[in-house]
Formats: sequence, structure tokens, C-alpha cells
Amino acid sequence: MQSSKLIWVIILLCGCLSSCFKEEPLNAECDIESVWVHTDNPDDFFFNRTDTIINVPYSKSEITFYVKRNSDITHMAPMFKITEGATIEPANGSLQDFSRGPVTYKVTSQDKQWNRVYNVAFQERSRTVTDTLKFDFDNYELDKEYGKFYVWYDKNEDGKTTYLWATGNPGFRYAYSTMKDPDRYPTTPIAEGIDGASVKLETRSTGAFGVINNKRIAAGNLFYGFFDTKYVLTETMKSTNFGHPFDKTPIKFEGYYRYKSGDKYQDKNGNEIPGKKDQGSIYSVMYRNHDNAGNEVMLHGDDVLTNPHIVAVARMVDVTGTEDWTKFELDFKYFDNIDETLLNNYGYNLAIVFSSSYEGDHFEGAVGSTLLIDKVRLICKKTE
Amino acid sequence: MKKLSMICVLLIIATITANAEKLTDNLNYNVRLGYNLGGTAPIGIPSSIRGMDSYDPGWNLSYGFDVQKDIRGPWGVMTGIHLENKGMEVDARVKNYHMEMVQGGQRLEGYFTGNNVVNVEEWLLTVPIMATYHVGGNVKLKLGPYISYAMSHKFYGHAYNGYLREGTPTGDRINLGNTEEQRGSYDFSDDMRRLQFGIDVGADWYFSKRWGAYADLSWGLTGIHKSDFKTIEQTLYPIFGTVGLTYKLK
Repeated sequence: MQSSKLIWVIILLCGCLSSCFKEEPLNAECDIESVWVHTDNPDDFFFNRTDTIINVPYSKSEITFYVKRNSDITHMAPMFKITEGATIEPANGSLQDFSRGPVTYKVTSQDKQWNRVYNVAFQERSRTVTDTLKFDFDNYELDKEYGKFYVWYDKNEDGKTTYLWATGNPGFRYAYSTMKDPDRYPTTPIAEGIDGASVKLETRSTGAFGVINNKRIAAGNLFYGFFDTKYVLTETMKSTNFGHPFDKTPIKFEGYYRYKSGDKYQDKNGNEIPGKKDQGSIYSVMYRNHDNAGNEVMLHGDDVLTNPHIVAVARMVDVTGTEDWTKFELDFKYFDNIDETLLNNYGYNLAIVFSSSYEGDHFEGAVGSTLLIDKVRLICKKTE
Repeated sequence: MKKLSMICVLLIIATITANAEKLTDNLNYNVRLGYNLGGTAPIGIPSSIRGMDSYDPGWNLSYGFDVQKDIRGPWGVMTGIHLENKGMEVDARVKNYHMEMVQGGQRLEGYFTGNNVVNVEEWLLTVPIMATYHVGGNVKLKLGPYISYAMSHKFYGHAYNGYLREGTPTGDRINLGNTEEQRGSYDFSDDMRRLQFGIDVGADWYFSKRWGAYADLSWGLTGIHKSDFKTIEQTLYPIFGTVGLTYKLK
């Protein structure tokens, strides 16, 4: 009697715990993971072979191929790698005319419950005309997707809006979901600058999530590049992609700043380091964006000042306290000559980095450290 | 739920008063010590839970004191008080599983694909009210409801080795790793219910004059979380089997 009862108990328990697993549900995701185009003469269209394929970050739905001037983009057939089982409309590999602007693609998930809309564009990479690039940070808006934090944009020489500046604000949003005030994010605009608005970078506490994940602070940062939220928890250093293709030879990097160190410098574990003062970061880096084997090179948090493909650096050594707006003027130090052909083919990337805590990438610094930045100029070698 | 609790309280009172008539007649007292093995699980596992990578039943002990009274023929009633621990740790593989990471008021909600570790720990004071039936000289079957009060309750865990799509499966993607710094933690201990009910079925078998073995299955009819708790879409029910020894005091 006893043993048969026990067997029943065991059967019932095992039944609940194992045999009830149902068939695997269909995929609910509908991402374009990568896009590529095949042409017989890629060098006629593209500056680099790697420009023919784009790995699409999950947060992006605008995909742009940069092509040479006067490329015939009326018959392009992009190929897509999408989530397994998902479908795409217009069809994968179908011929499209991109000369009339971006083409909209809709990806529907395998379970048909979800879809995403992407715009794919082929755009001429416009030459940088001016010898002095001006960044005044007067153009900002709330991010379009969440409306929770600020993003900055520039108006191109041809009038187009470009979003080339990135911040860690999207990462802070994950840590601090209850933050409703965009002005209490690490990177914010403030009205009083040298002229017009300036950018305020402030090291903030990341709250309870920050403690449990040992990422206790978020330094305010602003950089010429792209922030990939996919890596904010895991390979955090990889979330900052520093640099965009650049076709001029930079000579000088200047601008105005104010800096105030926060009161308590803390290490990664949140312990105060008595007597240690925080500092800011101000630097610009020019680097070759392909290695010798033709693979793309992108600088991240862990190698932005040490990667062997760096050819020039303009870096401020001590970004310490200044009450008033102070001008910084930094010369680019070259470790290698600029190859003019490579330069004209967008073979170099330019990165510009500002941060309110110089060791903020390791989650060390003082909460409250503040760096204000305005009127940044990048003076380049004159071209005829 | 309030109705149910009222009924149970009335049942307890009824049983006690019924027994009070001939309180000293034919009363059997016994103590028991058992091991609880089981888990808290949804009834009908959703397809978003793909499998179980590990299961740790933990050391769940049950200490009991029961009073049994024979009423007529083989039939009788039994009640008592049990102090017991119901807990487990499960590491489940999930796909597009709706969940929320919560820490200190900060929330991150979405659809997770990867591994999810759940820890449950509860210390309960349980009162079973069971009908008993003697099938033979030394075997007694038991069936009846129980009521439990959770004196302490914990429900926590973390998602790891996977990714979360924020909000919907089309939302931003955040990768999760397997170190403490890289995973998503949650703690829903405060959302757990204190009063629980269920059905207990089991058997006592006396292999000597005073010593016996027993096996019970207690099937929870109330979820372990409060009814307004919606973060975990499926209601999780405690389902535990108990095996142990019993000693007849009188």
C-alpha cells in the first residue's frame, strides 16, 4: 500500500515537472540582423568593401549605405538576414530604386504577432568642405522613441540632419526607469553657455540596479560615435562605439569647458577613496578604420586611446576644477602619416570624447562631478 | 478568497466542537517528521518555458503534531499543526518569457530568452483537516483540506545567459551574461500571499506499535503570490510531496 502511494506521488510530481513542456513557440522577434548588397564592381559604388554589408544594431530602424558620388542606385537588390522564420516585404533580394529616397521594408515575426518597419537608404557620402568643423551643441531634442532623454544633432552643410553625437543616456534609462526628468540624466543641455546652449555632463548614481550589477555610477559622456544598448549589462566597454568616417586631417582640437569634481570619489565597489579628486576627459582620436586584412576597426571603451590603428591623438592631460569657462587648445600628435588616398576614401575615423569622470568607463568616479562643454572646434589642414 | 478562508475557519471550529463532545475518547496523538519535496509551478506549463536545466529541492522539513479520532467503523478525522518549509531552486530555460527585473523601485520589463533561476523559500504553519480511513490494521488513508500561514516567504531569482527585449519582442535588446554584474535580478518576496489553502492526500502506515511511515501530497489551490500580482503571467501553485516518520504518542 505504502509503496504504491509513494509511486503515485512520484508520478504526479514528475508529471508536473517534466512531461508538461509544450512544443516550442514560434519566434516573436522580427529584426533585420544584417543587410548586404552584391554588385559586380563594388569599388565603383563603395569606398570600402566592408561598406557593402551593414550589421544592424537592434535599436536601429534606419539603415544607410554610404556610396560614392554619382553611383547608380536605381537598381539595387539588398539581401537581408532576418530573425529565423520571419518574413520581409518587399521580398528579400528584390530590385529596388533607391534614387527616389529610402525604401521601407516591413519584417513580420514567425508567429505573425509582431512587426518592425525599417527604412533602407543609399546615400552619397558628402565631402567635408569647411576646414574648421564647429560644434556648438545648440541643436538638441528628446529622443524620438522614449521621449525620456536628450539627443544632439547637427545640420550638415547640405542642410541634412545628422545624429553623429552619442551619449550613455540610453544606458542610464535602463538603470533608472523611474527617472521622469530628462534634465536629471547624465548628459543634458543647459541654457547658459559661451554662446547659446552648452552640454552638461554630470556623473550620476545608477541606483539599486547599479549596486546589484556593480555599475554604481554613470559618468556623463558625449562622444562622436554610436552607443549600442545591447552591451550595457555585459560587455559594457563595447557599448561605446567611438568614431565616424572623416576625410580631413585634423590639426587642432579646441573648445571651452568648466569642471567641478564631485565630493566623494568612489571605487567600483562603492567604497570612498579619501583624498582622490575626480577629473574629466577631453580628447580626440584619428584612426584607420580598417586593419591590413580589410576588417573594420572600431574603437571602444577599452582601447580608444591604445588601439594600434590610432594615427593621431589630441588629449587634455588634466581636466580639473575651473570656476569659469576656460578655453582648451590641443594639438593633434601624429604617430603616423596620413595617407591622402586613404583619407579621401574615408579610410579614417574621427572620435571626439568628453566625460565627466575620467575613470567612469570602469564605473569609478565621484557622483556630482560636472563637465560643461561648448563651442568645440576641429581645425583641419587646408585643402585647396 | 476571503469566503474560502471563512469556510475553513468554520470547518476547524466545527471539527473542534465535534470532537469536544467526547474529547478524551479514542484520541490518538502522534508526532511526525518529514521531508517536503516539490515545487511551485504553473498548472499547465506555458510554451514559453522550454525546459529545466537544474532542480534543487532543498532541505524542506516538516514537523507535525496530529490528533486523530476514530468516529465510526473505519472512518475518522485527523487534524493537527505542522511547521514546515516549502522551497526549491529551479533553473529553467525560457523563450520570450514575460518578466520584470526589479530592484529598489527600478523596473525593467520585457520578454526574456535564456535561463531563469527561481528560488522559493517559505516557512509555513499548516493546519490540515482530514478524513481518515483504515484500510487494514496498520494503514490509514487521509484526505482533506489544509490551511497554511506563511510566517516567512521569499521569492527571488535572476535571468542570465540570454537577452531581454524591452517591453515587447520588438523592443531594445539587452544581453545578459552569467556573472553577478551581468545578469538581471528580481525579488518578488513582498508580493507573496500569507494565507494559503489546498488539498492534502496521504497515508500513514504503522510498521510497529508506535512507529510508522507516512507519505502525503499537498496540492496548493492558491497561488503563492497575491492575486493582484501580474508580473509573472502564470499563477504558481505549491505542490509538494512529503515522506517521513511518525511516532504514536498515545
